[in-house]
Amino acid sequence: MNNFHEEEVVVKTFDTQLLKRLLKYAKPYIGLISASFLLLILITLGDLARPYLMKIAIDDYIAVGNKDGLKNIALIFVAVITGSFACNYIQVYILNYTGQKIIYNMRQELYSHLLRMSLSFYDRNPVGRLVTRVSNDMENLNEMYTTVLVNLFKDIFTLTGIVIVMLRMNAKVALISFIAIPFIFLSALIFRKESRKAYRVTRVKLAKINATLSENISGMKIIQIFNREKYKYDEFFAINDEHRQASLREVFVFAIFRPSMDLIYSFSLALLIWYGGGRVLQGALPFGVLFAFVNYIDQFFKPINDLTEKFDILQSAISSAERIFMLLDQEEEIKNIESPKSLGKVIGKIEFKNVWFAYEGENWVLKDVSFTINPGETVAFVGATGAGKTSIISLIARLYDIQKGEILIDGKNIKEVDKYELRSHIGVVLQDVFLFTGDIKGNIRLNNQNIDDEKIKEVAGFVNADTFIENLPNKYDEKVMERGATLSSGQRQLLAFARALAFNPSVLVLDEATSNIDTETELLIQDAIKKLIKGRTNIIIAHRLSTIQNADKIIVMHKGKIREMGKHQELLDKKGMYYDLYLLQYKE
Amino acid sequence: MGKFKHIEDFFKKYKWKYILGIFVLLFVDGLQLITPKILGYVTDALSAHTLSMKEIFFYAFLIVLIAVFIAAFRYLWRMLIIGSSRQLEFWLRNKLFAHLEKLSLNYFYHNKTGDLMAHATNDINAVRMAFGMGIVMMTDAIFLTASTIIIMMVSIDIKFTLIALIPFPFVAFIVMFFGKLIQKRFKRVQEAFSNLTDKAQESFSGIRVIKSFVQEESEINNFAKANEANLKANMNLVKVWGAMSPLVIFLSALSFVITLYYGGTLVIDKVISLGQLVSFISYLELLTWPMMAIGHVINVLQRGIASMTRINEILDTEPEIHDDDNTLDIDNFEESIEFRNLSFTYPGAKVPALSDINIKLEKGKTLAVIGKTGSGKSTLANLLLRLYNVEEGSILLGGYDINKIPIDLLRRKIGYVPQDNFLFSCSIRDNIAFADENMPFEKIEEAAKITSVHDDIIGFPNKFDTQLGERGVTLSGGQKQRVSIARAIAKNPGIMIFDDCLSAVDTKTEEKILSNLKEVTKDRTSIIIAHRISTVKHADEIIVLDEGRIIERGTHDELVALGGYYSSIYHKQLLEEKIAGQE
Repeated sequence: MNNFHEEEVVVKTFDTQLLKRLLKYAKPYIGLISASFLLLILITLGDLARPYLMKIAIDDYIAVGNKDGLKNIALIFVAVITGSFACNYIQVYILNYTGQKIIYNMRQELYSHLLRMSLSFYDRNPVGRLVTRVSNDMENLNEMYTTVLVNLFKDIFTLTGIVIVMLRMNAKVALISFIAIPFIFLSALIFRKESRKAYRVTRVKLAKINATLSENISGMKIIQIFNREKYKYDEFFAINDEHRQASLREVFVFAIFRPSMDLIYSFSLALLIWYGGGRVLQGALPFGVLFAFVNYIDQFFKPINDLTEKFDILQSAISSAERIFMLLDQEEEIKNIESPKSLGKVIGKIEFKNVWFAYEGENWVLKDVSFTINPGETVAFVGATGAGKTSIISLIARLYDIQKGEILIDGKNIKEVDKYELRSHIGVVLQDVFLFTGDIKGNIRLNNQNIDDEKIKEVAGFVNADTFIENLPNKYDEKVMERGATLSSGQRQLLAFARALAFNPSVLVLDEATSNIDTETELLIQDAIKKLIKGRTNIIIAHRLSTIQNADKIIVMHKGKIREMGKHQELLDKKGMYYDLYLLQYKE
Repeated sequence: MGKFKHIEDFFKKYKWKYILGIFVLLFVDGLQLITPKILGYVTDALSAHTLSMKEIFFYAFLIVLIAVFIAAFRYLWRMLIIGSSRQLEFWLRNKLFAHLEKLSLNYFYHNKTGDLMAHATNDINAVRMAFGMGIVMMTDAIFLTASTIIIMMVSIDIKFTLIALIPFPFVAFIVMFFGKLIQKRFKRVQEAFSNLTDKAQESFSGIRVIKSFVQEESEINNFAKANEANLKANMNLVKVWGAMSPLVIFLSALSFVITLYYGGTLVIDKVISLGQLVSFISYLELLTWPMMAIGHVINVLQRGIASMTRINEILDTEPEIHDDDNTLDIDNFEESIEFRNLSFTYPGAKVPALSDINIKLEKGKTLAVIGKTGSGKSTLANLLLRLYNVEEGSILLGGYDINKIPIDLLRRKIGYVPQDNFLFSCSIRDNIAFADENMPFEKIEEAAKITSVHDDIIGFPNKFDTQLGERGVTLSGGQKQRVSIARAIAKNPGIMIFDDCLSAVDTKTEEKILSNLKEVTKDRTSIIIAHRISTVKHADEIIVLDEGRIIERGTHDELVALGGYYSSIYHKQLLEEKIAGQE
């Protein structure tokens, strides 16, 4: 169980390449970011001016009793903070807008990328994990763009500004105040390392929680029926506990680091008072300057504190980014070649030439399979389950790529034609009917707006799905819940037929599709299919021999190999495997 | 406080940690108030030149000493309060999951998986934040504000303090006003986010259909809509939320200006000393954090409350099916089944799924159910498993009313093979041994042999330890069905229900399984739901369902002789055979 959810915690250094890549997404918004930058400089200047204005107020006016001067300073002060306020709001808005836009784009890119990945990718990656990438991990990045990207410079500006102002006021006292800097950075460095480690583990554990949760909610019926609530609870408890341990480790790292930063602050304050106070006593330093220094030191620590806080965000963002990029970097396994051939009008000749196929490794599902299906032919695949029949239809639509041999459609290697064009010519009715949240209509036409309501009714009538649809309270507008849970499997099957029909494909594939339907409905469907298969190449996978006896060709599969091939009667006469299958079905 | 009733138990357990944590936090706050006082004193002494180098050193040392204490105690409250909030997260997530496990199937049909998952992660997170940093900030805000203001008034000047703090009430007002808006808009953000998560979840689950029908582009466009709605909801939030913090900072700075101008005048007029002004400014500085915290704390708390409300919606959902006072104290019952005038309508449906069902099935007998799609066959199984409640006295097991049998006992005694063959993403071994984690391997193997899946499993490189993908993707439909049957058989139940479970296996395998199952069902009470005559014809009794009613019943031979629906299916199948044979 563990190996399946667990993702290796990749230990990578904070690499600039990743950062560069993240910045690339910000590039289109360079104008807005610059504006936000400009505003930041103004805000920083405002922040820096305040202790300086106070110093002037104390040394130049309060000390000498100049009330008018004090009043002027106060007015300037008001002007500064009003300006800061306006700049602040605009800056926050612009920055968030930019962040949201960037995330919108990235999320769209990731989602599109994932949709392009092949089925074998989905076999390897649990849905819960992928969803976490698109949802939560993206949110982490959003926080990075809004909180870190530009505001990081605010901290750097402020720091540099303070250093310059302090040095100019009094170099010696300034240097004394700077003694703390190495300590701050050292503790920040250690913190960075530790908290990042803790954070990563927490995220991995959270993804695991999500995957487990998703599966258990989907399988709740089985859990309840098998009385396994307690067992599954314990299992969930253990996973949740792993997350708790990681999370508490995080708390510990923060509990150590945050207070120690404040401690260093107090050290430098004490140092300043001890040294600066002495200088004031000697008359070498005006009091106002010392006071300004106390204020600056405070302002000095804030950006460093903020900087480390941003590490926090940056860390989560970096680990999220690593995960996201890891997905983005996975090459589409099934790619169109450059300038693929166009299929044009498909007549529907399909050839398998010495095809070898395995879902993984050397686990061959198909071994050296060769056959030809001529245009307009109806070919039936029969054989025991696991014989490789289902794989064949996945291969025709190029949902997986074969390892050896070639598959040709109308004489063209399917690897050399546009895969989307290829798939658009192939109509598939799958074993597991997947329905989308929405309504009945939407599940038949999917997203194809060219299929109008008339057409939907027509195809539904054709496959005899109209009877049950008309009986639904809202007929074709009836809501379909997640995965069509409220419909029976037979009804779902009928919808799948209608869906396949609506797309009017040149090649039709039925994968054991008649199995969940009672004989009466099946006869109706077979009647529909009879009309439907005219003018198409048809590949039917069924275990009921009676439905395929009209086939032009029957291919008997066994353990990934073709055992027999021919017409029904020929095969019966041969008294081979097909004959056995036939006898088993019909003998009393 | 009704909103937090579900986490009361947690707070009972962690009460002392929180109390101690808050106490330590208050102590830190108190210590923090000393430093400005020292600064003020040093200032005055410096101005008056009454300070020796030794004294300066002493004060500097004092500052460091206080800081060490502060650091130590800060570590402590973080571990206590923030640590407890992480415990809360853990505790609440477990509680939520345990509750979900109790909810009836109907609930899961009407609530999306993605939604439920969002509750377990995002919402719990928000609640955790509220009871971690939220509590810290609230305590700080209240205590630090109150004590600082009092000290300012007592040790410096009442009138000065009151004038300098004029902007404060405005802060409170703004925070209140914006807080409400923020909560509302935050809820919309959560909804938009949850919608986006759902969308992704569904596309990834249905990827095969999307690819087969070349729907990638359209799905991407659909996702873009959800993505954009999320962006808009976020920007709506930023509009208010972005204004709040700068406004609070502005008001606190305004209070600074007043201090400087009015306080400066007071120093010039010698009403207060420069040292007092310096302390005053330091105190004001101390106030800035709690003032900003107010803004933040409201945010965090309101998010927490909003999330808690969403979680409560789940926790408040009463499990429809549970043991109660009427539940009998029995630990076994005879495996006979009786349906007595059973009628059943699904919640929210208009047409009954079953009407007037009367069946008596004695121990060890086999009942077969056949009928069109949607005729109520699976409903029969669902009711027998008590996934829905039925009227009293309409289903009897071993003579007991099903509603009075402990659910645990009922489900333990029934082996069920579902239509959809849901397998968990663990090893094949664990899937078959699902009913009992301590099941001996021989039993697992035996079950696999009975269902003819043993050879398939042995063919995998990792044999019984082969891991299955999220929905058992590496197995074919037929293999999944057979593992699912093995899972039910391995449980060794007294009653077996097969819900159309041989549909995806080929005839040869079906034949083999059926003959193996004959052995298994010999002493067991069995219900076989199927479409094929070959699957049902050996049953002791066969009933034919149509629109929820029994339209025919009897043995295979009787039904064939009856010349009704059953015989028509039978003859249709024979006819097919005949026609096929003629070619």
